[in-house]
Amino acid sequence: MARRLATQVPSLFGCDVADPVSAIEEMDFVHADTRQSVIGKLVRQLRIDTVVHMAVTVDSAAEDRLAHETNVIGTMNVLAGCAGPSSPVRRLVVKSSQAVYGAAPGDPSFLTEQVAGSDRPAYGLKRDLLEMEQLAQEFSLRTSGCSVCMLRLGYRVGEGTKLGSYLSLPIVPTFAGFDPRLQLLHEDDAAEAFVRATMGAHEGVFNVAADGIVLLSQAVAIMGGKAVPMLPPYGRWLGRLALRAAGVDLPEHLTDVLAFGSVADCSSLAAAFGWKPAYNTRAVIDSLARGKDIEVIEAPSPPQEYELQVYLQRRRRRERNGRANAALALRR
Amino acid sequence: MTVEPATALASKELRRRSRKAKVVAPPRASLLRLPKPIRRLQRRAPMYAIQGINGLSTRLREMTGREVIDMNRVMEVIQFLYRQGELARRGPNYLVDDFGFDAEWTESFLSVFKVLYRDYWRVETTGIENVPATGRALLVANHAGVLPWDGTMIKTAMFAEHPHPRHVRALVASLFMGMPMLSWFLRRTGQTVGHPDDTRRLLERDELVLVFPEGVKGTGKPFKDRYRLRRFGRGGFVSTAIRAGAPIIPVSVVGSEEIYPMIADFAPMARLFGLPYFPITPMWPWLGPLGMIPLPSKWRIQFHPPVHTETHPHSAADDNHLVMTISDEVRNTIQKGIYDNLKLRRGVFV
Repeated sequence: MARRLATQVPSLFGCDVADPVSAIEEMDFVHADTRQSVIGKLVRQLRIDTVVHMAVTVDSAAEDRLAHETNVIGTMNVLAGCAGPSSPVRRLVVKSSQAVYGAAPGDPSFLTEQVAGSDRPAYGLKRDLLEMEQLAQEFSLRTSGCSVCMLRLGYRVGEGTKLGSYLSLPIVPTFAGFDPRLQLLHEDDAAEAFVRATMGAHEGVFNVAADGIVLLSQAVAIMGGKAVPMLPPYGRWLGRLALRAAGVDLPEHLTDVLAFGSVADCSSLAAAFGWKPAYNTRAVIDSLARGKDIEVIEAPSPPQEYELQVYLQRRRRRERNGRANAALALRR
Repeated sequence: MTVEPATALASKELRRRSRKAKVVAPPRASLLRLPKPIRRLQRRAPMYAIQGINGLSTRLREMTGREVIDMNRVMEVIQFLYRQGELARRGPNYLVDDFGFDAEWTESFLSVFKVLYRDYWRVETTGIENVPATGRALLVANHAGVLPWDGTMIKTAMFAEHPHPRHVRALVASLFMGMPMLSWFLRRTGQTVGHPDDTRRLLERDELVLVFPEGVKGTGKPFKDRYRLRRFGRGGFVSTAIRAGAPIIPVSVVGSEEIYPMIADFAPMARLFGLPYFPITPMWPWLGPLGMIPLPSKWRIQFHPPVHTETHPHSAADDNHLVMTISDEVRNTIQKGIYDNLKLRRGVFV
């Protein structure tokens, strides 16, 4: 996403706790943690007018405490940094997720932006995301000079995502008696949506997800696996434990999606942005099946390309060594 | 000394080095392979069987003077089995619509439901011409019988009687969408959650939508009240129809009331399984799975003339008085239709 933005804005600053995967010439990078209030100083000193807040973890089975810390407290700090009369921030783009709807049998077949936060009690990630969105809403109400855009990204199945690794299993355990509709989002489309939201002036909440659906059984068959309905239909935590034993640590909200499905209505995105994701759900699954998502390098200039390849190679080697050391340690 | 051209040498050399292409044959299923004539017989057995049945049917017709084995029926069964086999082998490249409806798969079951329709419940359908061949419409029907066989039969009636068969998309209580197997089957055959938003979307796609405003209160009504309609929700279906500009077609179904005569409702069991009711019938649960077989009552389905809600402006959907008036009108039409059809029916089982 940063690579796409770099050509369109005068200056770009990145900010993360870890090193960036690839270096971008036009981007300056700062190590910072949203859990501390450094964002305010950064924004004021560098006279930043647009903040894109993406430090929201959705696809992690880590304990709720940590996710809460990142999602809610982190967002709170970012918003606090952007608030105030001395703040130069005029635009804020916040990443959210389709997980904010959860998944339940009584949901309408297509979730519109207004459905979220209905009467059902929310817990875990869903509650965090709702709280986070609420913070952003309050922020947009309080600061009149800043327009806020929230993107609820659909479920992604890129390399390294939990759902992706679940679908890539050779034998995919599914919940017995359920074959939900899946709606996915390609990583490229997610990045493109963010670029458009950053450059545009749309206000409000938007669903971002691919067109169309596939059934879970179809998706598994396209991936070349075999769907075996062997998880118990009741007691989803039991299924989650079984999956963990099989090597896939699914986050809690995804188990509901794998039973009841969750499909968002993206018509308001299409109306406001005049754009919709280029990949439909079927194409997302197909591209995952072809394994084309492993290393996407978008039109890099040759020296960068070289640098990137070297970096990736080094990282891979480091990982391999790490694994070998771990194996050695185990053997000892 | 003659010099061979380089190409010839190369090709010779190539031929020398080349190996024969490896023949990749599918692995043999078993070591013991039956002799060829027997395998041929296996392959042709279905054909011989059909010919045999055909011969038997002709013989019996000549002997008794009437149709004992109906060859059309036999062919239907064979077609059904063949189609199921085809569907099982079609792989993941089939289309479902955004609601998860698989039309091809659903149509493969129609022959089974048509047998139930014609021979088991001997359904007589009137007023099918009131259902439009194209465009949106909202079918509103009474709901009775413990399991929703009435919905199935209305769907089948559209295929068995209507000159332009269409799929009817029924709305289901969210409770059933949370049940294993049932949720899968219902979605696959075109049903969706009974949510106003879903109704609107289906109608805007010019679909034929079936709704049971009585809901589970209708299917769970005791046997003594079987012909009396329950409350029609809060008239939500009327406001949805007005908003979508769809005509409402009331449908009266008679006969579904007797398929499972529910004597009592064993509430503790229902609470245990999270069901709306746990029926006690003369057969269920005493006979086990056999008790699930519905009784062969005589059915009548009547499609009434449409109530034109599309003449009202959109703002009328918020007019509670108008909505409740139309709702009551539809309810009275259906109730009257039930009594009319009860008079036309000679007996419960004939």
